[in-house]
Amino acid sequence: MKVEVSRRRFLQGSIALTIAGGYAMSPSEILASAKAKASESGQAGRKKIATLCEMCVNKCAAFAYVEDGVVTKLDPNPYFPKSRNMLCPRGNAGVQALYDPDRLKYPLIRDGEKGSGKFKRVSWDEAYKYIGDKLAQILDEEHDNRSTVAFCAGEGVAEHTFKNFFTGFGSSHFLNHASLCLATTVSGYALTIGGYGSADLVNADYVIMAGANRAEAIVTPDTMDFFKRTIGRGAKLITVDPRFTNTAAKSDKWIPLKVGTDLAFVLALTYVAINEEIYNKQFVATSFNNFEAYKNHILSSGYTPEWAQKITGIPAQDIYEVARTFMSHAPRAIYYQGRRTTWSKNDFQLRRAQALFSALGGGVDVKGGICFGKNLPLIGHDVPSPIYDNAKSRIDKNEAAVVGGSGSWVGFRNMILEGRNPYPIRALFNYKHNPMSNMPNSRKTAEFLKKLDLVVTIDTMPSDTVMLSDVILPECTYLERTDPVKSFGGIEPAIAQRNKVVEPLFETKAVIDIMRGLTKNISKQLFAVTKKYDTEVQDAIEKDGEESVYGDFDLTKAFYESQEELNHHAVANYPDAVQALEEKGVYYPDMDKYFKKLNVNNYEYYPESKKAYSVKNGKLATPSGKVECKIDSLVSKGIDAMPLWKDEYLKEIPDGKFNFITGRHAQFTQSGSSNNKLLLSLVPTNYAWINKRVATKRGIKFGDLIEVSSKVGKTTIRAYPTEKIGQDTLFFVHGFGNASSDLTLAHDNGGNDANILEDIIEPMHGATCLHETIVEIRKV
Amino acid sequence: MARFAMALDYKNCINCRACESACKQENGILLDKDHYRIWVGVKEIEGEFPNLSIASQAYYPSQCQHCDNAPCQQVCPTNATYYDQNGVVRINPEQCILCTYCINACPYDARYVDNRTITVDKCNFCADTRLANGETTTACQATCPTKVRIFGDLDDPNSEISQVLSKREYKQIKAGLGTKPKLFYLI
Ligand code: SF4
Ligand code: SF4
Ligand code: SF4
Ligand code: SF4
Repeated sequence: MKVEVSRRRFLQGSIALTIAGGYAMSPSEILASAKAKASESGQAGRKKIATLCEMCVNKCAAFAYVEDGVVTKLDPNPYFPKSRNMLCPRGNAGVQALYDPDRLKYPLIRDGEKGSGKFKRVSWDEAYKYIGDKLAQILDEEHDNRSTVAFCAGEGVAEHTFKNFFTGFGSSHFLNHASLCLATTVSGYALTIGGYGSADLVNADYVIMAGANRAEAIVTPDTMDFFKRTIGRGAKLITVDPRFTNTAAKSDKWIPLKVGTDLAFVLALTYVAINEEIYNKQFVATSFNNFEAYKNHILSSGYTPEWAQKITGIPAQDIYEVARTFMSHAPRAIYYQGRRTTWSKNDFQLRRAQALFSALGGGVDVKGGICFGKNLPLIGHDVPSPIYDNAKSRIDKNEAAVVGGSGSWVGFRNMILEGRNPYPIRALFNYKHNPMSNMPNSRKTAEFLKKLDLVVTIDTMPSDTVMLSDVILPECTYLERTDPVKSFGGIEPAIAQRNKVVEPLFETKAVIDIMRGLTKNISKQLFAVTKKYDTEVQDAIEKDGEESVYGDFDLTKAFYESQEELNHHAVANYPDAVQALEEKGVYYPDMDKYFKKLNVNNYEYYPESKKAYSVKNGKLATPSGKVECKIDSLVSKGIDAMPLWKDEYLKEIPDGKFNFITGRHAQFTQSGSSNNKLLLSLVPTNYAWINKRVATKRGIKFGDLIEVSSKVGKTTIRAYPTEKIGQDTLFFVHGFGNASSDLTLAHDNGGNDANILEDIIEPMHGATCLHETIVEIRKV
Repeated sequence: MARFAMALDYKNCINCRACESACKQENGILLDKDHYRIWVGVKEIEGEFPNLSIASQAYYPSQCQHCDNAPCQQVCPTNATYYDQNGVVRINPEQCILCTYCINACPYDARYVDNRTITVDKCNFCADTRLANGETTTACQATCPTKVRIFGDLDDPNSEISQVLSKREYKQIKAGLGTKPKLFYLI
C-alpha cells in the first residue's frame, strides 16, 4: 500500500513516519523495535508464557519462549486435552506472523480511489473520528436504520468482543464464516441427532471419512488421536474422496467417488443396513423418531448399491462391504461429520443422511461414537443490547429456508449487487475476515466492497479485503494480546486462555482496546442520531431524562473492563482457575489430581471413569428427544423432510473440462498465513492437481503455468500432474494467489480459487457450494 | 555422556511437516525451501487412478541417522565432522571447508549446504539449542501431532527408548551398509 505522508506531519519531524503503513521494514528492524519495547516495559531475560495458538481455528495450547522481549520459539503446551501436547507446522510458524515485516502497523485512511492502495497514516483518534462522522452521516441519512451497517468477522475467540460492539450498535446484519464453511453440517447433525458433537476417535473401531482430510486439514484432537490407530493398529478407516489425500494414505480402503455424489453413497449404505436388518435394532427402537417412514422411503426409493454405482462410480460390492462392516463394528463406528463442508446444493440432506446412517449403528452419545461431552460453564458478561426502533430486519432472511444469526454471506452480497435490497446497505465493519479471498467470485466481492460508503477493517495483515477498505485499524497478533477465556466442552472438557506474550508492536492494539477507543469516541455522536429519529427513545427521554435513557445505549459499557478483569470474572466459580490459566494456560476441575505424564509423548487428562462419553441419558437434544428421521417443519420452506436423491444433483462434465474442488494442506491456513515466510519455505506455492495422463495428452508438465477459467473468472497456477486425481477433476488448495501488492511474499503467488468459484448457494442456509464449479484449462 | 538415538513410530506419520517447521524455528535454519534438516520420505504413488496402491504411500520421517560408524565423518578431510560426547554426529563450522565430500558420502542424503553459515549442515539432535538449554528432547519430537518420535539415551537401560527397543520390533534403514544408524523405525 502506498502511504501518503502529509507535509504537516512530516514537518513535525518524526522520521518514523517515512516507514508508515506498508513501507518495507526489514526483519532485523522489527526485532530491534520489539527489543526496544521490551526494555521500555522491563521485559528482560528469558521467559516462558502460556498462550493459545491462533494460526488456525483449533486453538492449541502453546508455551512461548521470550528472550529480551523477542519471541524466539513456540513449544507445545501439554496441559490442554484438546491439543494433546502438539503444535502443527503452522503453530510453529506463529513467530513469523508476529515479526512479519508486512504487518499493518498504524491506523490508515484511504487516500485515493477505492482499490488504489493509497492510504494515509493517521492517529487512532483521527481514525475514530473519521468513522464516527461517517457513521453519523450515514445513520442520519438512513433515519437511524442501524441495519444499514453490516458486521462481519472471522473465526476466533475475540470474535466475541467484536460481537459485543455489534450488539450494542443494533444492526441486524452479522455475517461470518458459517455460511462459507460448515453451516449445513452443524445443523444437519444438530437437527438429526441433537448436536454436531465430537467423534470419539480414541475409541471408534470403524470410521468413514468422506471429504474430511484429517491428515492434512488438522482438527484437534481428532487428527492426533486417530492416526496413532490406523493401518492395522486398532481402527479401520475408509476414506471417501475424489482425490488421494494423505488421509487416504492412512486408510484401509480409499473410495474415489464422483464429485458431488456423496448423498447417493450414504443413501445406498442406509439401504443395505435397513434391507439386511443389520442396524442396531435396540437403539432404533428406543431412540428413533419416525423410523418406519424413513425405512419405507429408503426401500421404496430403491436406493440400492447397484443404483448408487451408476451415480457415484463406486462398485456396488464396495458399498455392500462398507455398510456391513460399519454395522458389524457399531456402535463404535462413525460416519465422520467433517468441516468446511457445503460442497453441493444437497449438502444439508447429505449431512442428515450421514447422521442417520451413523445413528442406525447406535454410535451416538456412547464411547467410540459421536459424543456430546460435558461443558464447563463460564460466567457471562452483561453487555448493553439496546433496541433501536428504526433498525430493520435482515435483508437476506428469505435467501434460504433458515438464515440464522450469521447470515448467508453470498446471498447478502448478491442481493446488494443485484439491487434486491429493500433498503440501502452502506457500511461494513470487518473484523479479521477476508471476504475477497474466502468468498466465491472475488470480482463480485470487490464490486460489493467498492459500492459501500464505509468499510472499516480490523486486521493484522494487508489482505485483499484490507486493500479495498476505507479505514484500516491494525490489530496486534495473537501473541500480543490476552483474549477472552474460553471453555472447550467435550469428552475431556477444559478451559483455556490466551495470555499476552509480548507488548503489541508499532501502534497495533488488541480488538478490545480498539473497541474501547472507538466506542468512547462515537457512542454519544451516534446516540444523537437515534434521539433525532427514534420516537420510542424520545418518549423515554421525556419520561426518564436523557441521561438515564442514554445509559441503555452507551456503547462504551461493554468495554469498561480490561480483558484480564473480564477473564477473572468469567472463571470466578472455579477457585484456582485464575492462577492456572495464567501459568499453564489451561484449567479444569481436579486437574492437579488427574493430569499425568504417561511417557515422553503422552499425557492423561482424565481417568477413564471421568470421561464424558455418555451424557444424555437417552434423551437427545432434538424436539422429540430422539433421532429425527423426518423433519416436517421444514417442508413448508421447501426443504425435504427426509434425505432424498434428485436427478438434478447429477452434473455432466463436458469433455475436456473439469469439476473444480478445493481444500487444504497442513502447511498453511487459508489466506491468513499466505505471507508466512516459514510456511512458504515448506510449500512455496499452490499447485493445480491434474490427472497425469490428461496432462501428458495436453503437453503439460510439472511446474508449467496453466490458466484455469470458469464462468466467473480465471487464475493462473502451476501444474502438478498426478494419478492421485481423476481425469475430470481439478484441485488446488485455497488461500493463495492474493492480489494485495503489500503482501510481499503472497502477492500473485499461485492460484486464487475465489476468482473462479461460482457463487452458488444451497437452499437450507444459503451456504456457498464449493464443489459445483466447472473449469477449463489452458497452458500459458 | 550418553548415546542419543531416536525411535520412530513411523506409521503414525501423516506427512504434516510440523517437525520441519519446529526444527527451522528452533535451530534458525534459513527459511528457504532448499534448507532443511528433516523431511518425510515418500515415493511417487503406484498405479493409475482409481486403482492406486495405498501401501506405496508409506511415509518415512527422516533426518540424520547419527550413525555410530558414519561415512560422512570418515571422509571429512578437516575433521569438521565429529562425534560429540553423546554420540551425536556434529559439524564444527569453523573447520568446514565446504568440500562437500560428506554430502556424497552420506547414504541417507542427510546433509545440505547452508547458505547462511556457508558450511554443510544437518540435524544435530538440537544439541546446541535445546539440549544446551537444558531440554531433554528435540524440537521435532516435542511438536509432532501424532507423536512419532521417542528421543533418548541408548546407554541408559531404563530410558524410554531402550525400553521400547527391547520390547518392540524395529528396522534400520540401509543397515547392511555397516553405518550403524541410530534411527529405529518401529514396526
Ligand atoms: S492446529 Fe496448528 S495452527 Fe491450528 S491451533 Fe493447533 S498448532 Fe495452531
Ligand atoms: S511432525 Fe510427525 S507426523 Fe508430522 S511429518 Fe513430522 S514426523 Fe510426520
Ligand atoms: S546419516 Fe549421513 S550425515 Fe548422518 S551420520 Fe550418517 S552418514 Fe553422517
Ligand atoms: S533433532 Fe533437532 S536438529 Fe534434528 S531434525 Fe529434529 S529438530 Fe532438527
